[in-house]
Order: sequence, then structure tokens, then C-alpha cells
Amino acid sequence: MSMQPVAVNPWRHRWSLLTLCATLALIFIGGLVTSTGSGLAVPDWPLSYGMLMPPMVGGVFYEHGHRMAAATVGLLTLVLAIWTTADERRKGVRGLAWAALGAVVAQGLLGGLTVLYLLPPVVSVLHACLAQTFFCLIVALAYSTSREWRTAGVTTDEVGLRGAALLAAVVVYLQLILGAVLRHTGAGLAIPDFPLAFGRLWPAFDRPGVAVHFAHRLGALMVLGAVSWLLGRSWRAADPRFQRPAGLALVLVITQIGLGASTVLSGKAVLPTTAHVAVGAALLGTVSFTALRAFRLLQPPREARAVRLAAALGDPA
Amino acid sequence: MIRSNFLALLAIGLLGAGVACGGGEAPKSEASAPAAATTGAVSTAASGGSTGTASFSGKVAYEGSVPPVERVKLNADPKCAAMHKEGLERWQLRVKDGGLADVLVYVKSGLHGTYPSSTDPVLLDQKGCDYWPHMVVKMVGQPLVIRNSDDTLHNIHPRPQVNPEFNIGQPHQGMESKKTMDKPEIMIPVGCDVHPWMRAFISVFDHPFFTVTKEDGSFEIKGLPAGEYEVEAYHGKLKTQDLKLTVKDGEAAKLNFSFKG
Repeated sequence: MSMQPVAVNPWRHRWSLLTLCATLALIFIGGLVTSTGSGLAVPDWPLSYGMLMPPMVGGVFYEHGHRMAAATVGLLTLVLAIWTTADERRKGVRGLAWAALGAVVAQGLLGGLTVLYLLPPVVSVLHACLAQTFFCLIVALAYSTSREWRTAGVTTDEVGLRGAALLAAVVVYLQLILGAVLRHTGAGLAIPDFPLAFGRLWPAFDRPGVAVHFAHRLGALMVLGAVSWLLGRSWRAADPRFQRPAGLALVLVITQIGLGASTVLSGKAVLPTTAHVAVGAALLGTVSFTALRAFRLLQPPREARAVRLAAALGDPA
Repeated sequence: MIRSNFLALLAIGLLGAGVACGGGEAPKSEASAPAAATTGAVSTAASGGSTGTASFSGKVAYEGSVPPVERVKLNADPKCAAMHKEGLERWQLRVKDGGLADVLVYVKSGLHGTYPSSTDPVLLDQKGCDYWPHMVVKMVGQPLVIRNSDDTLHNIHPRPQVNPEFNIGQPHQGMESKKTMDKPEIMIPVGCDVHPWMRAFISVFDHPFFTVTKEDGSFEIKGLPAGEYEVEAYHGKLKTQDLKLTVKDGEAAKLNFSFKG
């Protein structure tokens, strides 16, 4: 069965992919700001030391560089929203584009607030979580304008891939929220050893930081389980459209666990810590895309049976 | 499609024009000549809290190994690097002739009443991409003048536990900002997030009986009323030491601390 073809400007799709890559780079640069302790190297906002372009020295290089990268992503998103409004027939996609623009504006405001209020953890955590949410919105925009979305046929989800993909996306997102809380409450080294915790499997939770840190480690195991389940379902379905992204997700999870261990064992060295943030975003993007693909290309068996029955009875629906 | 592509280009153009507008800010300077105080100024106009004619002096001695002086490379800012071609000296302990410098010595308890704040400003200077002095001591309410003597930008970011935290920028040479801190608090770390090697400490007292040891570890506190006191010596890298002191009017007592590494 094939779906109604949707006409989409391929250049808009390419623009959304460019925005996606720029957003991933922005998340890495944002991670660098926190990892290098440069979050308050520029004390004012929206200008930087009263200037549009301060000297790019020391921590200013990271903080103002982040602002410049964020302005670029904001610009790309604005263009995408206007472009989508101009030539997109699907109301939902137009809404998605404007939601992305709203998210990037809100993200900028949260970034400003976190500077002006000296990095309050709540605002910093919201800033980190909204970054990941925005990234997912751009993934959705990019996929909804892809050739696959426009032309691919729908098959029956015989093995529960939709559920597995959705579960993986939700678990990864929750794990990223936990990671943001850990990072912005200074709990990154609350447990200083790895793989054990204070030499034990189960540490004493005498400080909130230990609980947050340990929950993040347990979350990593849940992510590993969810992504492995997704890969298993993909293999069962023998569908390379799901095997490939699920396989990539598993590679990213293993890399991410390695980076998490390196972050702890290196005492939060800049590179592994920042890479941990960026790979986390890449993982979320991968499982979100897999979930979107599953919901676009697969029908639940019951629904598929109803469609087949209707067709057999001569109902075109 | 041509129309939508044109709209996209128009949006880029408009945003580009918006980004290109704007400008910088001229340097500000508040004329003043504050001193880098290392000891409390004893006021004779105490309200409730009394002053006197007793004093105590002594030395903070140090026995043990002294970590070698490190030289921090300042490559993050070419202007800082140019001022310290061999790197900036950083020490954990400064010991000379057995005396330990940079120790905060103050009357911890035994005083009664309140003391009026000094109006003399205390200077924290950013010079050579470093703070001068590294140990700032002042009374509550006493103005703290922060100056940027460098031809590069700095932000000043104290992280107190009791007083309000602030973060201000000084992008131009010669800029000065004035701040006060209204609650007693010792060893408030001050840092520059642009240049992470910069580190100083501010201590704020509700009385004038405090000082920081000199290079040879010596110190002196004057104007104390007769009485029994607890005096503390505090070094950021070592444990604190508290000693009892009893002084009479006009007496110049001796008080020596000894730290072991």
C-alpha cells in the first residue's frame, strides 16, 4: 500500500538537514561552555561586555562562541519556519516549524537568564533539556520533508517495532534530563570511581549528588536495555530501515557509556565530558528518528487487518 | 517554489542586517584612589564596640615541605601571555625565613558591641592578569573598589556563601567598579571566568581586628580593648589554628602560630 505523495521542495529538506547538523554542533559547543567553566565568562546578555564582538580570549571564546553558534541556528530556524509557511501544505509540519522557532527563541532567553542569574541549576537544566527537545523537533522537520516520508509504502508492524522505538526514545530523553540535572548540580564526580560506586555495587546515598549520579548510571543500563530491545525487534523484522539506525543507536550507547566512564575517571576532563553531551544528543536524534520512521512506515497489525478487510469489502478507505 | 526560495533569502538578508547593527561601550572610570588594605583600620568612634590601647603581634611559622612554585601558561589570552613569557608564578605556600605569608589572622571571639564601618575604600586590582592583593580584608559595608589595570577584559565573580553573589565585566583598561558586602564572611573565593588561573579571597569582618601575614609571616593587630579573646589563623591550604589571648590596656602581647606541613 502506498500513501498520498506530498510535494516538498528538496532544498527545504536540505536546509533542515543543515539546521540539524548546526544544532548538533551547537550542543557540542554548549557542552564546551560548561565543561571549561566558561558559563559566566561573559557576565552580560544579550550583548557581550557591551559589545557584539568582544575579544575572543579565555572563557569568552567558549561563551561568546556559543552565542554566535546559537544565533546561527536561530537564523537557520527562522528561515526554515518562513520557508515552511510559504510552501508547505501540511498544517502539522507548518506548526512543527513554528514550534521549533519558538523553542529556539525560548532557548536563547533561558541562556540569557542563566547568565544574568549566575547559573541557577533549574534554568541551566531547562536550557539543556530544551536544547535536546529542539534537536528532536528539527529531526522531525527533516524527516517530514524527506523523500522517504513522501513516497514510502506502509507495512504491518508484526514485531512491535513501533513500541520498541517509542520506548527507546522516551528512555533516552529521560536519561538526558537526568544527565542535565547531574551536570548542572555539580554531581558529575559525586561518585568518583567506575564501574563500582565507592568500591561497592550499591553506594550509601548520604548526599543528593550520589543519588542523582547513581540514578544516571542505572539510567544508562535502562537505555542499553531499551536500545538492545529495539535492535532485537529490528532484527526480528529483518528490515534494514530499522536495523541500521538501531545498530547505530547501540554503537552510540556503548560509546556513550565509555565516555561517561572517561568523564568520571579523568575528573571531568573537557573533551570526554563534552563528547558525552554531544553523543547523548546524537543518540536521542537517532532513536527519535527511528521512532518517527516506525510510526510513519509501520501500521499496528490490528489497523492493518482493518485496512485489508476494508479493501476486501471494496471500501477504498 | 521560486517565491518560497526568495522568502528564505529575504529572511537571511534581514537577519544579517540586524546582526550587523549595534556597537560597543566606552570605558567607564570612577575616580578614586583606594588602597590595597591588608589590615583593619581601627576607628576611635566605635558605637558600642570599644577600642583600646592593647595590641598583639607575632609570627605564623611553617615547618615542613613547601610545594614547588608552578608556572601557569597563559596562552588562553595572548595579552596575558605576553606579560608573563615564562608563565605566571603560582604557589600553594609562600614561606620565607620559616614564616608563612598570606595567613588571615583575626579576632574570632571575645569582642562585644558593634563597630562602625570604615569608609576608606579597599582595592582589588587586576594587574598582569592576576589579582593584587590575593587576600583582601575589609569590614562590612566598607567599599571594595575593583579595578582593571590590564589591557584585556576581565570579569569579577566572587562566590560567597552568605553575601550576595555578583558577576561584573570590565572590558576596558582603567575601569573601576565599587561594591560593598554587608555580612561577615571569611575567605570568599573570587575568580575570573575568562582567565581561570586568577584567584583571590575576600574576608569581611564586623570589627576592625584582622590582618594578613606579611612575606615573613609576621603580623600585628592594634587598638584592641583589654580582654580575653580567641584569635584564629586561617590559611586556605592548611588547617586553621585558634589561640587564646588575654591583654591589658597598653600591653603589646606576643602571639605565635605554628603550622606543620
